[in-house]
Amino acid sequence: MSGIETFVQRRSDKELVSATILEGMAATDLLVVENEWRAERSSVMQELLSAGVARPNWPESLHWDWSRKVPELQLLASTGFGIVCEKRWQGVMITKSAGYFTRLEPDKGKPLLYVDYLEVAPWNWVIPQINRDGLYKTVGSTLFWRAVQQSEEEGFHGRVGLHALPQAEPFYEKVCRMRPLGRDASKQNLLYFELTRQQAAGFLKMGESK
Amino acid sequence: MTDNAKRSGPSREWLLHIADLEDACPSVSVGGMACDFDLLPAASEAQRVFGRLIELARRKKNLTVEQLAVKADIDLEDLVEIENEEPIVPQVRTVFQLAHALELPAGRLMEVAGLAKARPEVNQAALKFAARSESTAKLTREEKEALDEFVKVLIEVSDGG
Repeated sequence: MSGIETFVQRRSDKELVSATILEGMAATDLLVVENEWRAERSSVMQELLSAGVARPNWPESLHWDWSRKVPELQLLASTGFGIVCEKRWQGVMITKSAGYFTRLEPDKGKPLLYVDYLEVAPWNWVIPQINRDGLYKTVGSTLFWRAVQQSEEEGFHGRVGLHALPQAEPFYEKVCRMRPLGRDASKQNLLYFELTRQQAAGFLKMGESK
Repeated sequence: MTDNAKRSGPSREWLLHIADLEDACPSVSVGGMACDFDLLPAASEAQRVFGRLIELARRKKNLTVEQLAVKADIDLEDLVEIENEEPIVPQVRTVFQLAHALELPAGRLMEVAGLAKARPEVNQAALKFAARSESTAKLTREEKEALDEFVKVLIEVSDGG
């Protein structure tokens, strides 16, 4: 597996900690992820139950089982990415580089990179109801940054599309600067977002001094 | 796989900027593939009825979700998924263990869970039960009646073979 050196921000002291973006995850890697994350998800669930938090307010991906995504990862156009920090998988993303096309002008009809799955480790979740602050920030954003990079490498000029779960809609609109294009009946009514090439350029340049 | 040896990640400035923005939007979950995989379809009627039946039977015994998971020796996650009426077919062992812990006939519970072909009497009782029960913190008189009636049918069908 090839890697790109990066950092993630530790929430407790805002320090940037060394991490690696890995590309080319294999099926066995997803099984390791599921093994590591399952125990933490179970703890989260127990804390939510003990605190009496209503189920609609639980993290929407609490029931995901990453080992079930193995067949998808084996498709030719799929690529698995992960961020590893302190020897643990902090976040995972699966992208597809074929079969998805831009809905927005001016590149309408041209191919884009589709983010099929993206999630951070349960110990990075912020759940105020049970006083969970999350260990690391910037994991999800860095994975999305990698998706934009991959889109450029594929010749898609940074165009990215995805269906966000409801709790994540603000992240893709406000942080990633994507444009919501309506709910998709074929995808459980999830909101579909797209990043144009212009928005992609702006996203990659965020934080640069003017 | 591609050769990333000379590539670098996002700049420190970018990371610090994005870290501030993330404060207002902590969730990042994307799940398009869940739909492709049918991992997030609406629960079937059988799954809804099974989930509701387990929840009411548990509450009738004054057990918390955690206590029932321990008593039945099943994963807490599995039990929560069942009671949450999520569209996941439970494992045979899980249903068997729940039947034992809740003193329900295992064979009929398999039918309610969609793991075995349901007899017409079970189907009819399940539909009636689904129409009468609502998820609330405390078992209401109507829910207790609905539960008792459903369990009675399950036992009678079991006895009758």
